[in-house]
Amino acid sequence: MNPKRCAACKYLRRRCPKDCIFSPYFPPNDPAKFAWIHRIYGAGNVSKMLQQLPDQTRAEAVESLCFEAKCRVDDPVYGCVGIIHFLQTQIQQTQNQLAKTQAEIALAQTKLSQTHNSDFM
Amino acid sequence: MSSSGNPSSSGGGGPCGACKFLRRKCVAGCIFAPYFDSEQGAAHFAAVHKVFGASNVSKLLQHVPEHKRPDAVVSICFEAQARLRDPIYGCVSHIVSLQQQVVSLQTELSYLQAHLATLELPQPQPPPVPVSSSGSLQALSITDLPSISPSVYDLSSIFEPVMSSTWAMQQQPRPSDHLFGVPSSSSIGGGGELQALAREFIHSGQMPAQPSPGTSGSGSTVIKRE
Repeated sequence: MNPKRCAACKYLRRRCPKDCIFSPYFPPNDPAKFAWIHRIYGAGNVSKMLQQLPDQTRAEAVESLCFEAKCRVDDPVYGCVGIIHFLQTQIQQTQNQLAKTQAEIALAQTKLSQTHNSDFM
Repeated sequence: MSSSGNPSSSGGGGPCGACKFLRRKCVAGCIFAPYFDSEQGAAHFAAVHKVFGASNVSKLLQHVPEHKRPDAVVSICFEAQARLRDPIYGCVSHIVSLQQQVVSLQTELSYLQAHLATLELPQPQPPPVPVSSSGSLQALSITDLPSISPSVYDLSSIFEPVMSSTWAMQQQPRPSDHLFGVPSSSSIGGGGELQALAREFIHSGQMPAQPSPGTSGSGSTVIKRE
């Protein structure tokens, strides 16, 4: 067995060939990363996905897949859709606060201008 | 997905969309049958199968309580479609875009609140200097994103705002710039198509239309807290 097997081949208990598609992205010191990916997507599906991508984009694809897999492991019902919902809620709340603050600013400016006008009279 | 609320087997109505796609017999108690009808369900299952694989989805659903499975199926379908449209980033690009919106809005809010504070002071003050919220414009990272497990989600509220989200604007920096620190020259595309697909999920009966025992579907994607 190659002592320098990538995390994927270690997990799958197989020899790690020189052209292993996983080895650039799953170093042996981070076994959890591949474990999430395999649990949610399966090694075969990820291999097919990566083969269809240009080399220079595969690292980013692996990172996004890992993120989504981890979200799904943590939240089996909503996965990363839960995060989308959370962020959209935050956006709505912040927009409401913005509108309220803008109204308060308008009111404060009106009061200030009325104060200045009465000072000059 | 099925809109009949048939909770279990395909009965005499033919195979469910999943079994139709897999070209196998749809047995009584098929785990996919309530969520993938034999018409449009097959197309949606195709995406799910391509990204996740039927056996992985089956295992996922088995570990989810039955009343939560409709939501789980919708979110899985959403992620699968997002991944097919953007094979590099999937729905992560949308998450990054939303997070940037949050940061931008919070920065604007901080500035306005500081401005309001100066207006409400008893004595005239010099014009406020725009406040740069420390840390609010720092580079985004996947690790900054929360891990959320709420008990109630209105999935329609997730999909409908997608239609007016910045995916359509396509002017956002690449997710990789924030997530991974690696500049990328590729472009995000297909946001409009995903929005249309998300709309289709909601309006074409993709969720159980009728409430049925053991499920919380009520004709929409809103799951009420019990």
